[in-house]
Amino acid sequence: MSNAYFEFSCPVRILSGRAALANLPYELRQLGAKKPMIVTDKGIVKAGLLERLMEVFVGEDIQPCAVFDETPPDSSDKVVDAAAKLYLKNGCDALVALGGGSVLDTAKGINIVVSEETDDLLELQGVDRVQGPMEPFIAIPTTAGTGSEVTCVAVISNVDAGVKMAFVSNRLYPDVAILDPVMTQTVPPKITAATGMDALTHAVEAVICLQKNPVSDSFAFAAIRLIRDNLETAVTKGSSPDARIAMANAALLAGIAFSNSMVGNIHAMAHACGGVAHVPHGVANSILMPVGMTFNLPKAAGYIAQLCESMGISVEGKDEQARAKAAIDWVRDMQKTMHKACGLPMKLSDAGVKEDQLETIATLAADDGAVTYNPEEFTREDALKLLKQAF
Amino acid sequence: MTYALQPSAAAQRKYSLKRTVASVSLAAFGAAFELVSRHVPAMQEEIAGWDEGRRVVIGVLPKGPKITIEKKGNRIVNLGGDEFKADLHILFKNMDSALLIFTGRLGADGAVAENRVTVWGNNGHAMQATRAMQIVQSYLFPMFILKNTFKRPPDYTFSQRLVKMRIMGALTPHMILASYRSTNQHNGDDQ
Repeated sequence: MSNAYFEFSCPVRILSGRAALANLPYELRQLGAKKPMIVTDKGIVKAGLLERLMEVFVGEDIQPCAVFDETPPDSSDKVVDAAAKLYLKNGCDALVALGGGSVLDTAKGINIVVSEETDDLLELQGVDRVQGPMEPFIAIPTTAGTGSEVTCVAVISNVDAGVKMAFVSNRLYPDVAILDPVMTQTVPPKITAATGMDALTHAVEAVICLQKNPVSDSFAFAAIRLIRDNLETAVTKGSSPDARIAMANAALLAGIAFSNSMVGNIHAMAHACGGVAHVPHGVANSILMPVGMTFNLPKAAGYIAQLCESMGISVEGKDEQARAKAAIDWVRDMQKTMHKACGLPMKLSDAGVKEDQLETIATLAADDGAVTYNPEEFTREDALKLLKQAF
Repeated sequence: MTYALQPSAAAQRKYSLKRTVASVSLAAFGAAFELVSRHVPAMQEEIAGWDEGRRVVIGVLPKGPKITIEKKGNRIVNLGGDEFKADLHILFKNMDSALLIFTGRLGADGAVAENRVTVWGNNGHAMQATRAMQIVQSYLFPMFILKNTFKRPPDYTFSQRLVKMRIMGALTPHMILASYRSTNQHNGDDQ
């Protein structure tokens, strides 16, 4: 963790705030697109967000030529193939993703299939396999958590092979991310809390993990400040546009931070909890954050201590260890606040994990790519110990 | 003022030397993979979950040296530097990045964290291969290097030290042979 070398990237144009959505046709025009396909899911349609999106095309010379609304909570190669066929059949020339992480990943997958003209995504999994050029791609997140609108990663299940395929490439960044408070105002309190805690985990791990650097730090600290000041309001007063856009910005900032510094043991365990016990990603991250941070204290106390300032913790008279522990306590307090506000689970057992699943979760966690970036060695045995603590 | 649009002869020679070091290191690495999988229970445990016949290429981009290893039974077999179809490719982005690893200045984890390598294939398989590479590294490098490059340096028992010495001894002829081959190949390339 010497910062002897780092890389940083975020080529996404960001439009954020009141009436940002209205700029969609203009941005599409700037990208040379005339016939975009909208990728979304049934929940978004039901919430009336697709209708809100369609309003912006009134009086414009650009009109969507297809809508794909079949995105499931965990995207798969079959879904991506079906959507890509729809895209090609209708002669579309751009992708607009309206939704959460799965929708955005699906859109990235469609872009790979269409741009690489492949029918076998398995061949392209890994880092920098996707070479492009890609189709114009605009992301409109409807949750404030994943940060997918500013990351170059897509995770898509391969149904036949039974594996999750990870695609990492600078070509996968959206061209534009549009954050509009209207898009998140109707998100229920519990999902707001879970996605907000997901964003907090991104920011916290970005500050701790091996590829941390001064640029990613600045994004992570800014994200934590916004979460500190706005998450509770976004959960308890969801109609507040100020809190909503602040959380959308926080998720975006945390997304930029972690996609450059990467995440560690907390995410490794959360991914595995999702895979084995279907625990929502943000819920798992929220539960596992304190134990994951505590595990890293011997190697990363200095970095964890740095979190105090953005968390609003007074550091006067405290040594490094005390500051680091205070930062972990702050996270625990945030967990309790979320639990009190909307019942967000605080233990894995409350989130649907069975005790006999812990061994499998630990095995999967140790094989997760995020482990590489964790400051401390993280073995299957380490994972099992922490999972038991969080159970 | 006119500029030479090709790297200087000195730069070419420097690159040749780096390539030789990388070739020899990879050859030693491949041989070490075989030996460690034969003698070290931790490695046998690590590869127990690999699919039979899984092949991993470790090499240097764009056209640098490479080796392919294959899981056969409870062992790893070094297929050498020829072209093989593989399930997973772990590729250093350039010669300098490869040398950071081969000369013990950066661990396998550090190489991934610093984006020195690119991985083609399944993410989980890449993690398993990285762990296996770390086990091999732990038997190749002295403790002062491991302390700098490993998050949790291994704590050897007396019998593990003996295995390490045996592996180092067995590797010496491989390294001499690889060095000879690499030098000959470069001479051939130059002619």
